[in-house]
Amino acid sequence: MEDIARVDTPPPSSTAVPQPLRFIGTGTEYFGIWIVNLLLTIVTLGVYSAWAKVRRLQYFYRHTELAGSSFDFHGSAVKILIGRILALAMLLLYNFSVRLHSLFTLVVIAMLAIVMPWLLRNSFRFRLYNASWRGIRFHFRGSVGGAYRVFLLNGFLTLITLYIMAPFMHQRVKAYQHGNSWFGQTRFSFHARVGQFYLVYLALLAAIVAFVVVLGMAGVGSAFMTLFQVQQHGGHVDPRVVIRAVVILYAGLILLGVSIGPAFSAVVTNLIWNNTRLGEHRIECAISPLRLIWITVSNLVLVVLTLGFFIPWAMVRINRYRLESIRLVPAGDLQAFIAAESEAVGAIGEETAAVFDFDISL
Amino acid sequence: MLHASYFDGHSAQIRSVDLSVSGDDLIIAGEGIERRVPISEVIVDEQLGRAARRLRLKDGTFCEVRDLPALAALLSSTTHRDGRVDQLQRRLGSVLLSLAACIVLAAVGYRFGLPWAAAFVAERLPPAVAGVLSAQVLRALDNGLLTPSRIAPQRRRALEAEFRALRVPDGTAPSTLLFRGSPQLKANAFTLPDGTIVVLDDLVTTLGDDGQILAVMAHELGHAHERHGLQLLLRSSAVGAFLAFYLGDISHLLAVAPAAVIQARYSQTLEWQADEYGAALLRRNGMSPQLLADALKKLVAFHGGSAQAGYLSSHPATTERVRHLEQLVAAH
Repeated sequence: MEDIARVDTPPPSSTAVPQPLRFIGTGTEYFGIWIVNLLLTIVTLGVYSAWAKVRRLQYFYRHTELAGSSFDFHGSAVKILIGRILALAMLLLYNFSVRLHSLFTLVVIAMLAIVMPWLLRNSFRFRLYNASWRGIRFHFRGSVGGAYRVFLLNGFLTLITLYIMAPFMHQRVKAYQHGNSWFGQTRFSFHARVGQFYLVYLALLAAIVAFVVVLGMAGVGSAFMTLFQVQQHGGHVDPRVVIRAVVILYAGLILLGVSIGPAFSAVVTNLIWNNTRLGEHRIECAISPLRLIWITVSNLVLVVLTLGFFIPWAMVRINRYRLESIRLVPAGDLQAFIAAESEAVGAIGEETAAVFDFDISL
Repeated sequence: MLHASYFDGHSAQIRSVDLSVSGDDLIIAGEGIERRVPISEVIVDEQLGRAARRLRLKDGTFCEVRDLPALAALLSSTTHRDGRVDQLQRRLGSVLLSLAACIVLAAVGYRFGLPWAAAFVAERLPPAVAGVLSAQVLRALDNGLLTPSRIAPQRRRALEAEFRALRVPDGTAPSTLLFRGSPQLKANAFTLPDGTIVVLDDLVTTLGDDGQILAVMAHELGHAHERHGLQLLLRSSAVGAFLAFYLGDISHLLAVAPAAVIQARYSQTLEWQADEYGAALLRRNGMSPQLLADALKKLVAFHGGSAQAGYLSSHPATTERVRHLEQLVAAH
């Protein structure tokens, strides 16, 4: 009598109409989870942090909805803990060897370079395998050889060309990552070309140059104005004018410093997701760089002013904006997805990559 | 009766079902679905905010429930109980209590736990580690704050001979003595993590008197003996690691900044420890602790109480230390 499937007629909302991601979490709710996580992590001298990570990801995944159904995170805390211990050991070894300045340093760096592509591939596998929507898991099926080609070979090319090939490398990494991702038996595909990555990088570079030029001209201009006034009316330069010019210049540079990251993230994330498809379904992403800069900078200010206690609200704010900028444009029935055969995946790569600070989420 | 969405784990189809409890069993009923499962075999997700909760069955199928109060009511009639952490993070009282506990633990940990742990680890770390760390610190300082010493080589050799002649209690590793100049740090002396003592030119010229210079070295030997340099390095590393963990989720930039700002400062307690050791060492070598008190007084006068002066800002409450040393002299 069990499980005799009868297909319901799909609700009209799930076909053809674009389905935006929705994030229904709130900072106040998340604060409770965050503070209990923090307390237990302190009390257990960090051991609980693996369980804290599971709770955090579960909170964010389960509050993210697509077409009325939420995502879920299935990662095991024990696997994350093992990954973290290994990552910590590698980090200590790396830090110690870097301070040593000897042959040992080179050996350790070479060792890290050799295992890192494999770890990054594992990290993609763990992250995707443990995510699901409507009970269907995501998968990453990139080959090990592909990881070495993308990270080691292209990374080397990027280094020796003094980062001129960075946009090329970025495109290859995303093509490897998105092109080998699956949702159940449906494959993702990636269509952004290298030229588009170069255009985005160049546009950002042009924006930075323009900002610096305007800032510099404002500084030089006000200096000339002061000199001109002193010449015309005699007297000496008012120190307040000089201080004001210096303050404006510094404020401008700090603003530039904190804005580059979010601005870059906005335009690149848009490029990547607008050129990613899930089977025949398209994905649209419209993050406004100005909005993202505003959220990031105001978050930073509030986190500093509250000695960190604003963090839960800051995380919810930035996640909501980023997620709700993405929508799926279905080409057919969203109920037609089918799960793949399952396979177990470890967390070692994910945690190592996190400690060595590779941004793989963009 | 409670409405839920049923997923079979194989397809993305949503099937509408009703949940109810009968005895110890959960009953799932909908079009084409009729299941009866012991409640003890159902894994119930914890309640996280307002997210839909899932009731997972062993075969990979699950029910998603949006009406959280109704689900809680249904579960309360069964043997299922929510987990402890689950309850902690949901109740206002326990959340506020956790907040207070975090603040108290952070303060107590910083004030007492950190110094204790740093001293504990510093005593047990192999000397090779301290050696590597010191070499790196010295290299960084030599490329920045420090310049080669301009004190005449004969004078340096004479001071070093007197330093070597100091009779140190057993168990103290021999310290290396280095002379350097520094326009910024002025009249100062400090100890590296492995116990190497660095004396700056201005200190030698300001004090002039060999006995007083030796007294400052005796004080620095106290820092070396107690491994204070290593302790401070461990403390600042621990603070840095905590901040990276605490702020890392929100911003890597923020997480790195405070670690750079928080500098290893000699604390009052460490100074008193080094003073006591220095005084005892001077007396052991037939000299008076008054020499150290006099040296401190001279340094106060030299720096003129300006806040930028390295030796005084990192050595707080100098006048109190002078008083303490003079009490030690008087007590004998």
